[in-house]
Amino acid sequence: MVVTGWLLRRAARHPRPFLVSAADGTRARLRCEAEIARRRWRPALSPAEAGLLVVCGAPGDELSEAVRTIWDGLPSPRARADLPGDASHDLVAHALDRAVARLADGAAPGRPHGGPDPGDLPMADRGPDRDGLSLDRLHVPLGPVLPDWPSGLVVETVLQGDVIQEATVRWLEDGEPFWAEPWDRAAAGRPVTRGEAGRRRAAAHLDGLGRLLSVAGWPAAARSARTVRDRLLADAPREALTAPYERLARQVRRSGTLRWMLRGVGPAGDGDALARLEARLTATRAAIGSIADEAPLDEDRPAGNLLNPDLLVGAELATARLMVASLDPGPAVAHA
Amino acid sequence: MPELGLLALPLALVVLGLAAAGLDAVLSGGRASAPFGEIARLLVQQRRRTTRPDVLLLRVGVISLVAAPLLAAVVIPLGDAPVADLSAGIVWFNAMEVCVWGALWLTGWSVNSVFPLVGAYRFVAQGLAYELPHMFALITVALGAGSLRMSEAVQAQQGLWFVVWMPLAFLIYLVSALAMAFWGPMSQPVGSDLAGGVRAELAGPDRLLFQAGRYALLVVAAGAAVPLFLGGGAGPVLPGWLWALVKTVAVLALLVWVRHRVPAVRMDRFTQVSWLVLIPLALVQLLVVGIVVV
Amino acid sequence: MSPWTAVLGLIALLAVGVLAIYLVSLLLSPREVLDARPFLSGHDPREHALSRFHVRWYAVTLVFLAFDMEMVFMYPWALVAAEVGAVALVEMFAFLGLLMVGVVYAWREGALRWS
Repeated sequence: MVVTGWLLRRAARHPRPFLVSAADGTRARLRCEAEIARRRWRPALSPAEAGLLVVCGAPGDELSEAVRTIWDGLPSPRARADLPGDASHDLVAHALDRAVARLADGAAPGRPHGGPDPGDLPMADRGPDRDGLSLDRLHVPLGPVLPDWPSGLVVETVLQGDVIQEATVRWLEDGEPFWAEPWDRAAAGRPVTRGEAGRRRAAAHLDGLGRLLSVAGWPAAARSARTVRDRLLADAPREALTAPYERLARQVRRSGTLRWMLRGVGPAGDGDALARLEARLTATRAAIGSIADEAPLDEDRPAGNLLNPDLLVGAELATARLMVASLDPGPAVAHA
Repeated sequence: MPELGLLALPLALVVLGLAAAGLDAVLSGGRASAPFGEIARLLVQQRRRTTRPDVLLLRVGVISLVAAPLLAAVVIPLGDAPVADLSAGIVWFNAMEVCVWGALWLTGWSVNSVFPLVGAYRFVAQGLAYELPHMFALITVALGAGSLRMSEAVQAQQGLWFVVWMPLAFLIYLVSALAMAFWGPMSQPVGSDLAGGVRAELAGPDRLLFQAGRYALLVVAAGAAVPLFLGGGAGPVLPGWLWALVKTVAVLALLVWVRHRVPAVRMDRFTQVSWLVLIPLALVQLLVVGIVVV
Repeated sequence: MSPWTAVLGLIALLAVGVLAIYLVSLLLSPREVLDARPFLSGHDPREHALSRFHVRWYAVTLVFLAFDMEMVFMYPWALVAAEVGAVALVEMFAFLGLLMVGVVYAWREGALRWS
């Protein structure tokens, strides 16, 4: 139909991408996020909202299964782009262009029907809660495919209402090698400067900061953090980074609401979420300050945070997400 | 000229809603035409349903989310007179706006999915926190005007706008306006930590109506601030309807802008502030206005 | 035109608009409705999400109800307060004061916090 075609073409100019990244897909994800921001597309938060699924890197078995489930939930017109972990800018741009063309075409791909009839699901079972009541419990896994969620993390929770009663933590993969790359190269005996490592570390901090601000319901600040991150990874000189970073840090520090919402959330050895935010801002500043340092890299990669599932027990979903985002945890086994 | 208003009102809601969505898209790093692209996308999008949804409740939910702001808007003067100048117009506005509680809860409940369900209950908790300060702000206006009729509230501001001598009530109204449209700092029910919360499973026409209803709520919340606090259509040179429009756009732009300056507020922290700070402040404001009036 | 005719007219317009949206969608979108599983981070659900939700802010709802009933009296009061004069003001604020004492009590009992 003429009208349908016209609407499809209009719609294809504003796709709603949903990104999934495997452990080795970090570089492709970052390039893709930068390209999406440049094209001024607005990312989707759930499969129902999305029209374009982007899979970065090579997912393992369990993540592949999750991606298939997500893909099945996207309504037509839909398109999918699978990017190799080391996809270049051109490859990313080309894959997105092709996806847009498919969306504008609107040819709805046939979808297989399979799997168990979901209608046969049981109702929620009951279990004791902390007040000695017997209440309905839902099994709700968080991750692996969830916006603003650490790559490869799965937290299996049991919820009563929106409170986590039980939590177990699993990692699907060994962590993201991309963030450890300068240290790995130095360990392999190749020349790496401190500046290079500082640049990568600052970008990693800002990537995590973007997730935290997004989970905290502040998408504008999250976008600023990601813009600085993308400039870092595009090898912008220090002079071009300091001012936008300081602006972001000032805005985040000045937000009384953010401080109010993070204070007392997820107290761990290094303080609460607010203290961790402050530490992250300080560390980012130092890392950005070091990116012109030509001295050879001679220090180990700072250890990342671990996620203790006990921390999440008793927390509401909203606080639990803030805890995870503020810890920005990695798997226990550090990448060699 | 109520017949004219009957057409002007939905038109104004649509135009202002699109303007708000466009402004928000630009501030979010998107393009101003994004709302039109989204409408096109949702119209041609495959309809979607989750496992064993309650489709009837879902439709009741999303349709009443559009109906509530539309019906609330009938008492807002478009310049001189509202479409329906009810004698208890302020109560009517309040009653229609409360329908959002039901609309949002039904939408979140009916899709049989955890994230929307949690979002739906978040909104009920939010309602418990914002509704009383909101009602006190409305009653302060009614007390100042000595009437529940919107047009008489505007008349009463001919000498002095209510915002000047009821600033606390105005600020509380703005906070509650954000909360009723679950917008910006009050957007936890549709929060990104819940993958979109109440609307996480919506696609196609259901999502279109949901989004339309949300922007309509934002417009109506901004629009009602004009007759309640900002003197309605009063102003020099320009005709009344144009002044009302200009003021509405100003309040609307402020509400949209706030979303990009302030992170989301959780009700487990806000509730206490609402009851122990906002309500007492609202009562002090009410007392001051009461003393002036008596 | 009476106000209620206008309200009915708007409801009719809304009905037409909503029907038009669903009709356009029915005509232009793919025929088959997508049967999707609820979004659970890529997992299949183990049970239906619909359940008795543990509402831990239950106490707030009760305090709210007490105040909300009060509000029903305040709307008519706002109309006559100026006529009746200072007595109306004193009486209403005595009443509100009592309710605020209740709120303070509920707060001290921890009813306004739940996490």
